[in-house]
Amino acid sequence: MFSLFPLLLLAIGTQGSVLTLQSPRFKVTSSTGTQLRTEPISFTQKSSTPVTLSQTDILKLTFQVVDKETGDGVQPHQTFLRFYDGKTGEEGIQPVRVTSGGKAKFELNMAKPPLSLPPTSDTPLHVSLIVGTSTHSPMILSLFDLVVPASHPPPYHPDEASFHPLPEIHHTFRPEQKLPLRPISAIFSLVVIAPWFILLGLWSQVAPRVPYLLSPSIIPFITTLGAFEGLLVWYWVDLKLGEVLLYGGALGVITIFAGKQALSKIGDRRIGRK
Amino acid sequence: MPLKSSPAQPPAATNAVQTLWKAYNDQTPDRLKFIDAFLFFLMLSGVAQFLYCVLITDFPFNAFLAGFSSNVGQFVLAASLRSQVNPENKNEFKEVSPERAFADFALGSIVLHFFVYNFLG
Repeated sequence: MFSLFPLLLLAIGTQGSVLTLQSPRFKVTSSTGTQLRTEPISFTQKSSTPVTLSQTDILKLTFQVVDKETGDGVQPHQTFLRFYDGKTGEEGIQPVRVTSGGKAKFELNMAKPPLSLPPTSDTPLHVSLIVGTSTHSPMILSLFDLVVPASHPPPYHPDEASFHPLPEIHHTFRPEQKLPLRPISAIFSLVVIAPWFILLGLWSQVAPRVPYLLSPSIIPFITTLGAFEGLLVWYWVDLKLGEVLLYGGALGVITIFAGKQALSKIGDRRIGRK
Repeated sequence: MPLKSSPAQPPAATNAVQTLWKAYNDQTPDRLKFIDAFLFFLMLSGVAQFLYCVLITDFPFNAFLAGFSSNVGQFVLAASLRSQVNPENKNEFKEVSPERAFADFALGSIVLHFFVYNFLG
């Protein structure tokens, strides 16, 4: 708002006619009509005591806008009262109705304060009058300081609670799983490996003779079965699933034919032997 | 699984077990004993892994699943192979030749091992 001052000064320089206020005064009355304070407003010497309103008081402001030279009443195009809180920077603008003769009457009833009145702080509001019209230079007049009763706290929005920073989220992770102690691992490794030695021992006792294992009709089947296991180990170490399925499919076709060949040979031998 | 018997048993039971063991040794073909040894091995291996999982740790669990399920699955496949190739069961599996049984066993084992290697991680 204050950045407008240079513009306004410029406007004053360009436009000749100057406005002024005639007989500006304010009156504070209580709700019962008792007159509490009434004073003319002096622009040269600002009143040291701010105007104080209580919860039910009514402030009445009267003045007449006149041409400074002719003394005729002027109806400005725009007339506003500005309530400005210098500490919080909040301001409220209230339009004032001015008659065609330039007379204006403004009433501020604290029982029904206008919505534009800024929320109160511990400093009084600066009340100034802004007058603008196309035929005259604009005018800003500082009227007085105003102390109004404390405003109500702003209404509580039902969703207000949702718009606060939430407490920080602490993720809880499962603790890192520990490997057992090395001796225990070693002992159980032996325990798990031990059945292999038992198996080899038992097989060395009861191994059936397989006289045709290395015959040309059977060895391809055994080889392809071994190749399958090798492929699966390779899958474990390196391969992707798709590759395994591809190679496994190809190997499967070979295995089927090799197996049919080998098993039918064995079957023939078995039947022939009997 | 009458392969092994505990020695700490009452005399009558010991006697029966000894008779059973002797009959098994004498009357079972070597090929079936070969499969029985494999079954016994699978059982021991499975028990050892299960004990490790229960007593020590199940970490890494996928490895336990792979090892134990391979034992169980292979045991089932081997047991069915044994029952199908057993000459005494010939009448029950008339249309299943020992070769066909072995082919089933090989196919089942390959599929099982494929899943097991998936779990190994």
